[in-house]
Amino acid sequence: MTMAGHDRSSLRKVRLYGVLIGLLGLMMLPFYAMFSSTLKPESEIFAAPATLVPSDPSLQAYLQVWTQTDVLLWVGNSFIISVGTVVLTLLLAIPAAYSCARNDFVGKRTFLLSVLVVQMFAPVVLIVGLFDVISQMGLFNTYLAVIVPAAAFTLPFNVWMLYGYFKTIPVALEESARIDGASQLQILTKIVLPLTKPALVASVTYTFLYAWNRLLFVLTFLTDSAKYNIPRGVFSMVGALQTDWRMMLTVSVIGIIPLLILFAFLEEYIVAGMTAGAVKE
Amino acid sequence: MSLAEEYTETSDDSRLERGLAYVQRNSRAYLLIAPAAVFLLAVVGYPIIETFRLSLYQSPADSNIETFVGLQHYVEIFNSDIFYRLLWQTGRWVVAGVAGKTLLGLLIAVHLKGDIRGRKFFRTAFLIPWGIPYAISAVVFRWIEHPQFGYLNAILLKLGIIEQGIGILGNPSLAWLGVVVADIWIGTPFMAIIFLAGLQSIPQELYEAAAIDGAEKWHQFRYITLPQLKSVVLIATLLSTIWTFVSFDVIWTMTGGGPISSTATLVIHIYQVGLQNGNLGRGAAYSVIGFLFLFGFAIIYLRIYTRGGDEL
Repeated sequence: MTMAGHDRSSLRKVRLYGVLIGLLGLMMLPFYAMFSSTLKPESEIFAAPATLVPSDPSLQAYLQVWTQTDVLLWVGNSFIISVGTVVLTLLLAIPAAYSCARNDFVGKRTFLLSVLVVQMFAPVVLIVGLFDVISQMGLFNTYLAVIVPAAAFTLPFNVWMLYGYFKTIPVALEESARIDGASQLQILTKIVLPLTKPALVASVTYTFLYAWNRLLFVLTFLTDSAKYNIPRGVFSMVGALQTDWRMMLTVSVIGIIPLLILFAFLEEYIVAGMTAGAVKE
Repeated sequence: MSLAEEYTETSDDSRLERGLAYVQRNSRAYLLIAPAAVFLLAVVGYPIIETFRLSLYQSPADSNIETFVGLQHYVEIFNSDIFYRLLWQTGRWVVAGVAGKTLLGLLIAVHLKGDIRGRKFFRTAFLIPWGIPYAISAVVFRWIEHPQFGYLNAILLKLGIIEQGIGILGNPSLAWLGVVVADIWIGTPFMAIIFLAGLQSIPQELYEAAAIDGAEKWHQFRYITLPQLKSVVLIATLLSTIWTFVSFDVIWTMTGGGPISSTATLVIHIYQVGLQNGNLGRGAAYSVIGFLFLFGFAIIYLRIYTRGGDEL
């Protein structure tokens, strides 16, 4: 490689990383604004114009937040809602996806396509009808009022994800187990599901995030503040006249920490889930 | 083996046997999809029908009395100025949002495509805005754009761009931009990840051949990358259009549709009319109009998705 060629390629590298780091920095700004504000004392957070760097950073807010807000309760509720949605969705999706992957029957195509359409049917345009149904079912102010609709709207992703994956598992494996006298349920839980792990992890992560992140259902169906989740809790702290920004941003930081841990460990599965359906192999 | 084939098999005994076997085998297949199918019918199908029905009634949320009014809601909606204003506000919200997400997503993806050290780190970092609660992102942006204490004003003042703090979210002509920025921030990661996956599926040989022919970078992008990426871009922008169209949490948390309804979109209006004001019938009529939009999007999506008779 000539000197000039070398210079040009390293210049390109510098530019590439420069752009990437610039974009990353831009994207990180909101996180910086959020986190740095929580390090300020109350007097400084209401400084106009804002100080861009906390003058005397302290973690005081993270000690106060447990007693001054219901953050622990909200995180707990978020877990209940997310785990409940994951369990319900999987209970419905696994048999359906398995059945479609292993059988050819009249109505399969219709079922799979209608499921795909549900995916596109956003909850908010259905909220008036759902409101009626949830009240008719007497589910108001129960966790199920949130879990049931969340499961319905995550079901399509789960069915398609698992269906696609089940199809790649050779039937021969199951047949040899059947010859060995394994029951249908044993075959599913002992042989098929362990092999489906990547799709299961992607499905569970997607469903968990969906249920953790959405405000709409909790806003509409849970008026009892003892059942608020993190988004609803944060929303309830936005006052018309007065907002305790310091506490609210501290709650926000705490509310995303479990998610950051999830991302760090499961990034590949999340990406696999996001690209399924949009990028065909 | 198809249904027809199985039934046209020969001998009577075996036909009966095989017929029974078919039914038996399929009854299990149906039994396994039944819970999911029934659940979706109850939680999605029934509310859809209920929405259509309600849209023909005058139905206050706080009473059990419903009065049939026929198409009155629709007539009033189409004759109101609000509706056309909502369409315009929804349109600019979707167009600006999707354009921003697509361009930024493409920019990130193109730069992440090559042999990048620490790509996993970058990819994870760029993913975060997509995966955290919309309401949290919304309050953070609300804080950044705060008229007195916000970071944005502090930066603009420092740079000398403005002389006095501006209240973006309180200004009817600026507020929607203040909200759309947050929505773009949230929606860009999805686009970047999809585009990245699409870019990585383009055969490297195409670029090598072009390089031998002396094609410049821009030409490679224009004549190889874009055409190869076409279907991915199509699907991603369509999905993004749908999600931006129905985006609720961000707007609701940042402005609640205000000031003076300037950030209200169709779905925000559904919520305001149907649930906040408790006019279920009118809200349902607006929802049906929302259905029609989604239905249009869904048809386009299914067309693209099942194009070329791909097997399900």
